[in-house]
Amino acid sequence: MELMNNVKIKSKNLNVYYGEKQALFDVNLDLNEKEVTALIGPSGCGKSTFIRCINRMNDVIDICKVSGNIEIDGVEINDKNLDVVSLRERVGMVFQKPNPFPKSIYDNISYGPKIHGKGETKSELDEIVENSLKKAALWEEVKDRLDEPGTGLSGGQQQRLCIARAISVNPEVILMDEPCSALDPIATAKIEELIDELKKTYTIVIVTHSMAQAVRVSQKTGFFHLGKLIEVGKTEKIFKNPDNKMTQDYITGRFG
Amino acid sequence: MNFVLIFLITIFSLSLFFYGRSKTKSIAIEKNIKLNALPKFYGYYLVLWCSIPSLVFLLIWSLFEPVIIKSIIIETAANQGAIFNDKNEANLIYEKIKAIHLGTYFGDIDSILRESALAYAKFINLFTNSKVVLIFAIVIVSVIYSLKKINKNNKARDDVEIILKGLLFVSSLIAILTTLGIIFSLLFESIKFFSVINIFDYLFGTNWSPQRAFVRDASSITAAEFEELKDAFGFIPLIAGTTFIAFIAMLVAVPIGLFSGIYMAEYASLKIRRISKPIIEILAGIPTVVYGFFAALTVGPFFRQIGENFGLTVSSESALAAGLIMGIMIIPYVSSLSDDVINSVPQSLRDGSYAIGATKSETIKKVVIPAALPGIIGSILLAVSRAIGETMIVVMAAGLAANLTINPLESTTTITTQIVMILVGDQEFDSPKTQSAFALGLTLFIATLILNYIAQRAVKKYREKYD
Repeated sequence: MELMNNVKIKSKNLNVYYGEKQALFDVNLDLNEKEVTALIGPSGCGKSTFIRCINRMNDVIDICKVSGNIEIDGVEINDKNLDVVSLRERVGMVFQKPNPFPKSIYDNISYGPKIHGKGETKSELDEIVENSLKKAALWEEVKDRLDEPGTGLSGGQQQRLCIARAISVNPEVILMDEPCSALDPIATAKIEELIDELKKTYTIVIVTHSMAQAVRVSQKTGFFHLGKLIEVGKTEKIFKNPDNKMTQDYITGRFG
Repeated sequence: MNFVLIFLITIFSLSLFFYGRSKTKSIAIEKNIKLNALPKFYGYYLVLWCSIPSLVFLLIWSLFEPVIIKSIIIETAANQGAIFNDKNEANLIYEKIKAIHLGTYFGDIDSILRESALAYAKFINLFTNSKVVLIFAIVIVSVIYSLKKINKNNKARDDVEIILKGLLFVSSLIAILTTLGIIFSLLFESIKFFSVINIFDYLFGTNWSPQRAFVRDASSITAAEFEELKDAFGFIPLIAGTTFIAFIAMLVAVPIGLFSGIYMAEYASLKIRRISKPIIEILAGIPTVVYGFFAALTVGPFFRQIGENFGLTVSSESALAAGLIMGIMIIPYVSSLSDDVINSVPQSLRDGSYAIGATKSETIKKVVIPAALPGIIGSILLAVSRAIGETMIVVMAAGLAANLTINPLESTTTITTQIVMILVGDQEFDSPKTQSAFALGLTLFIATLILNYIAQRAVKKYREKYD
């Protein structure tokens, strides 16, 4: 049995409210470095809300209030004085629906490095673009048409482009919000393969509705229900021998 | 009479709707069959059959009745011994006869006129009576025909669909034909103008003074007069003035409009948006003539005062005042439309940008604006064509003299203003002065068309398409 990695992200008594409605209740969850953590649970259970706390994307929503603590490498990020820009540089995100910018493939990747002042010369930028696309396993498919619009790619390619875009600023954590739900099985397989490769370098949190996917890609799984973290543990254990009856019912398809 | 007929037809058609609906229902129950369409379609079917043929007939009849009566009356008058040498005199006599019939003629009435007026009354009566009879006949025939169809349980739904499609087609046809008609009338009058004035003298002349063209008849121009006219219709000062004023207006409207649109869409809270958007849009509802006197009476003198303080000579009617006010008038077009297009950029694009660590302004500058660009350019174009077409503000605030100048403090003029100047008051339709208005209109039309075309090409080329 391999050793558990260090804890990278730690949430303590995390509560989230959308206006009057509470979306998360006292979530305590540790995410390990260079590991894939899968978050499962029925729709509206708060798993997306949880990962959006990790890069403070909930700030964008006016009515959303977050209380409690989230630490990355021991540093509190749920702090008004924290620089959100550099937080998001460290914590990248991939969304449910591929959302490439309506720009060229090259510009999609170079966007992040440019706004963070990385890659000052053209050749440095070229290198970042090439490396990011290679890491996202997209380079071979697009290297001859970098100036074509990113929106012209297929759905699976667009999603890998978005992963490459997230990688381009060299983050430590990558959050994935149901990255395969809009893709066909072949594109999904490619992304899963990619996630397996990426976990060597990055800490990955993936929200998924597919139990099979959670089993395939993750080492740790958390089960959310109605805004509460019901159970968390090694993926193998959660799916073979969960402690909680509700988890058992969910993974065997009795509700959800 | 026509109104009574239309009213009767409408009432009758509407009552047929209820009749047709209940009738088909009872047929269906009686014979225990399934109808081909909902009962209301049979109602519509009856309404359309009852109203359309009779109304179309009424329309055609009303178009031709006056023409036919006129030719008959003129002929009877001629037979009575009336003398007229050409069409105009014949028309005059016809108008007199009509006036006698209506009792509004106060001249001497001779026997010819009296007889003709009696004949006129007779024909009017005859035509009206036969019109009424024919329309009743048409209504009865078409109602009987459609009732028969209904009894056979025809496919009323399909027929109603076809008729409605036809109505929609006719409407679009009318719109297209009207446009073509306007273009051709511009074209023909312009051709007359260009047969007198060389098109190159017009396009490249730098002097515009149409009041010199007091020649009565284009066909009887002497060589001396022609030389005089040759350089009176130079188009350059007008297009220069138009572009110049529109340019000043855009300098005001585009930045303010675009920035306020961005603020409304991206920064303003819902509450601020709800209050301030209608307020900005009020600007678009102010009549241009109000802007005009504001520009002429307040802004113009204000600029002159300021200019004097700096030792500058500022004309109280200046391109600057007109352009500035025009720009203010146009702000809501730019702001409201760009607000809408920015709002329609999907949130997912913004999220993607924020998630990589971009700030709000970076996201707006590099993602939102490029994605919304086609719409923004569209709104600016609409504003440009508003600026080019705007007349009242310029008439009141920029002056009428066609100065070829790039000094915004001097007075200048625009194409539309000159069209107004030319066509106000009495004019002769065959003088080059009047015809030049049509040439101006045509040039303006073509210029706007080219502008639109270029802009559409540019948008297509540079747009960043999101799906």
